[in-house]
Amino acid sequence: MSSAAPKPPMVPGGGGAPSAPAAPPPPQKDTFTVIFDGKPIEVPKNLNLIDAAKLAGIDIPHFCYHPRLSVVGQCRMCLVEIEGIPKIQAACTTPLKDGLSVKTTTEKVRSSRAATMEFLLINHPLDCPICDQAGECTLQDNAFGYGHQLSNYDENKRQFPTFDRTMIGPHVIADMTRCIQCTRCIRFTQEIAGTSELTFLDRGGRTLVWTHEGQALDNDWSGCAADVCPVGALTVREFRFRSRVWYLQKTKSVCPGCNVGCNVSIESKEDVVYRFLPRFNPDVNDYWLCDYGRLRSESLNARDVHKATLRHGNSVQDAVVPVAIHRMAAEIRQTVDGTGPSGLFFLGSAHLSNEENFLLRKLADHLACANRDVAVDKSRARKIKRKSDWISGDDAAANFRGARDMGLTPGKNGYGLEAVLSGKASPEVVIVADADFAAAADDPEKVAALRKARFLAVCARTANALTRAADVVLPAASLAEKEGTFTNVEGRVQRFERAFLPKPPSRATWELLLLLALELGYGDRNWTPADLLAAIAKEIPPYADIDPKDLEGGRLLKKGDFAWNGTL
Amino acid sequence: MERVLLARVGKKDSRAIDGYIADGGYAAWKRVVGGGLTPEQLTEEVKKSGLRGRGGAGFPTGVKWGFLPKDTKGKPIYLLCNADESEPGTFKDRLLMEEDPHQVIEGVALSAYAIKCQTAYIYIRGEFYDGARILDRALAEAYSKGFLGRNIMGSNVSLDITVHRGAGAYICGEETGLIESLEGKRGQPRIKPPFPAVHGVFGCPTIVNNVETLACVPHIVNRGVEWFSKIGRNEKNTGPKLYCLSGQVNRPGVYEAPMGLQLKELIFGDDFGRGMKGGRKVKAVIPGGASANMLTAAEIEDCPLDFDGVAAKGSMLGSAAIIVMNEDVCIVNAAQNLSKFFSHESCGQCTPCREGTPWLHKVLTRIEEGEGRVEDVDLLVRICNQMANGMTICVFSDAAIAPPLSSVTKFRDEYLHHVEHKRCRVGAKAAMAAV
Repeated sequence: MSSAAPKPPMVPGGGGAPSAPAAPPPPQKDTFTVIFDGKPIEVPKNLNLIDAAKLAGIDIPHFCYHPRLSVVGQCRMCLVEIEGIPKIQAACTTPLKDGLSVKTTTEKVRSSRAATMEFLLINHPLDCPICDQAGECTLQDNAFGYGHQLSNYDENKRQFPTFDRTMIGPHVIADMTRCIQCTRCIRFTQEIAGTSELTFLDRGGRTLVWTHEGQALDNDWSGCAADVCPVGALTVREFRFRSRVWYLQKTKSVCPGCNVGCNVSIESKEDVVYRFLPRFNPDVNDYWLCDYGRLRSESLNARDVHKATLRHGNSVQDAVVPVAIHRMAAEIRQTVDGTGPSGLFFLGSAHLSNEENFLLRKLADHLACANRDVAVDKSRARKIKRKSDWISGDDAAANFRGARDMGLTPGKNGYGLEAVLSGKASPEVVIVADADFAAAADDPEKVAALRKARFLAVCARTANALTRAADVVLPAASLAEKEGTFTNVEGRVQRFERAFLPKPPSRATWELLLLLALELGYGDRNWTPADLLAAIAKEIPPYADIDPKDLEGGRLLKKGDFAWNGTL
Repeated sequence: MERVLLARVGKKDSRAIDGYIADGGYAAWKRVVGGGLTPEQLTEEVKKSGLRGRGGAGFPTGVKWGFLPKDTKGKPIYLLCNADESEPGTFKDRLLMEEDPHQVIEGVALSAYAIKCQTAYIYIRGEFYDGARILDRALAEAYSKGFLGRNIMGSNVSLDITVHRGAGAYICGEETGLIESLEGKRGQPRIKPPFPAVHGVFGCPTIVNNVETLACVPHIVNRGVEWFSKIGRNEKNTGPKLYCLSGQVNRPGVYEAPMGLQLKELIFGDDFGRGMKGGRKVKAVIPGGASANMLTAAEIEDCPLDFDGVAAKGSMLGSAAIIVMNEDVCIVNAAQNLSKFFSHESCGQCTPCREGTPWLHKVLTRIEEGEGRVEDVDLLVRICNQMANGMTICVFSDAAIAPPLSSVTKFRDEYLHHVEHKRCRVGAKAAMAAV
């Protein structure tokens, strides 16, 4: 419906509204009774009238109002009648009070909104056929819902020579001919990003939004300025002209960029990820997403490893996945039977889900191996403004916290990655669950240290020094091709869903690990990530409250000092 | 009537403080600062005098002051003198500031005292460069005489006045636009409520008054409420008023007269306009600046020039800028001219005004240039009706539609002549076309 961040649907009766209009909650002290079109409803006191109407199932069209930005009341689309006030009023600027009676369906409301729509459209180029916003354009939607079919405007439309189709920053392209001067982007840079690059220039009919003289719209969240733009005036360069938005399928996911764990919507078509959009979650990323995370979307399409490979001496040959896994199992069994489980080393990954890391840990337990670990690279701190404050994380992966929680640390008498890399420990078999676990995987010296093992197996999607060195490479799925949970920097467990199936023969890492476990006599072939999460909830005390069926918005872990009771 | 506000205008050295003191200036200020009147008493006097804002809206000044919160929670109160006189046809405040600056300063000082304000600003239109210099010089004189500053004349009254020049935007004459501009922001009117009296400049309680309004205050203090409220047509429209007369009259200018002067007297009276140039007939009069509806020749009969008198005629006194147009003026041309002004001055934040004002100008230009169609006349009315009555944050767009809407209603035949004959019926252009 809107270009802006995924907010609760504006359609009456939409599923995302926090409460249904049917059963008004019992009157409390902290609510007002507001009458919408004759129907009284209790609403929280601090709401804006537009959001209050949403609770009543009434859609008040608007452009400039945004729940997280200051109210300016200047688009004049949200016009309503208020009982006792003769003039038409903007809903967004009308303070709520007890007994307020709002009329949204009168002839005066209808004609006033149609008037605003007419004014907005007279100078709008109506270039929807070549505009990227088409399909998620508030102007389009409201024109359809509240405007006239025909225009009485017979003059030349306003042009903004040199202010059209211009990059105003590394990721944002501005086209002022489409702008409706709602100032959402200006307020975003002022009030959320705090960088204030954008401003109004000139005045009256010549008013335009642009960057301050000599400045670029270059901040960590510049893509959000395009998100809040209700029209196609600001668009993200990387997505421009790549797909019509109505072909894109939206999947609830979590950004893999860092351990803040911003909620994103993966937008994909025919098994290709086209973009990330922020997905509303007031406790994590609210309506926003940083540019770094946003542009991670393209990395999900990268794939170098299309097939399983097996090394025979110096030659590497393609293999089918079961054969490759059979070989891994044989090598593991051989080692366990020979030097014993201490000859094995399992390396999880901060890029993998809790379920995958948990399964790896359980497999190590099954083999009585205490040599397990996980590593993460540090990046510069990335931060995002949530409803109340800023949240930041400096891991270069989404799930280091969760991987550690799953028990991927050296066990009693076991050793970790550091010992292997420094040569203090020399495992015979190394199983790396994610070939891209950290920068070390592309570091020849470190890879050489891992390669000292007799047998090295990795799950991988992209090629690097580690995959080139490995004896077995299994084709693993991307984030978009599997489901699972991540645990973010503050201990919030969040689910990501599968956008599309991995292209055979690649499979989700949890499937590959389960196949390996089954070969080694552990696990059930009917297990799914949901079953694994249920097992996690049972076994790992901080996760005890996690209900796999109810993870909307994420769940914070229980606080306290818990010991892993790793028994099944 | 004896001159009150303009009494010293035209005198030699009318700007100098010595002359002002010699003429009885700053007596009111000395009396008040010396404890002659408490702020509450002064506010009450102004309330009783019936003084109404001279900036255009005609709101009772004392009542406005009364809107200030009793407890400001430690915040200072500001007084802003609105000297952003930009309404087309208005030039009275400029005269007051340039010719008798101390009268204005004393008015600001007294009003500041009444509302317990210690910092006042005179926001002067940027183009009034001379006015700003003259006020600055006058303020320096007042400081040097000890009339302003800390602990004025040994009392516990303190007041600083600063002249702030605008940057050339008509909309900064709207009080919240003025406040935004004074704060250093883009001059865009604010959403009300909160009103400036509660949340004004720098987030503090603020009163904004027009120059002429403030200039009346010393006279109320000096000569009493009784004297002031007797001037004028009735008790709701009191005091002396400055009228800005322009257009095709024999003697345009600023005239002082009691509130409620007859419009015909202003145009034809010997003390005022002395009739139409060349004895031509009156065709239309704009009684209150560009934002006021036009009146026809018939409507100016028995039209007292005060807030209620002009309102009864369906227009407004506004800033008392009376623009007289004779029968040779093409109404379409006039409306197009004014619409150009409004199109240029819209601040651009609200959709109906930002888009509507240029649209009106474009349509009027087309009609004026002989490209109009019959439908355009009704289109004008429709655009106008879509812009007013709550469609925007401030009343700018209500003002912008006044010239086209009133002229289309009252001079529809002229518009139709334009679209049918592709030329003006009267005026220079008509004469050109006839040749």
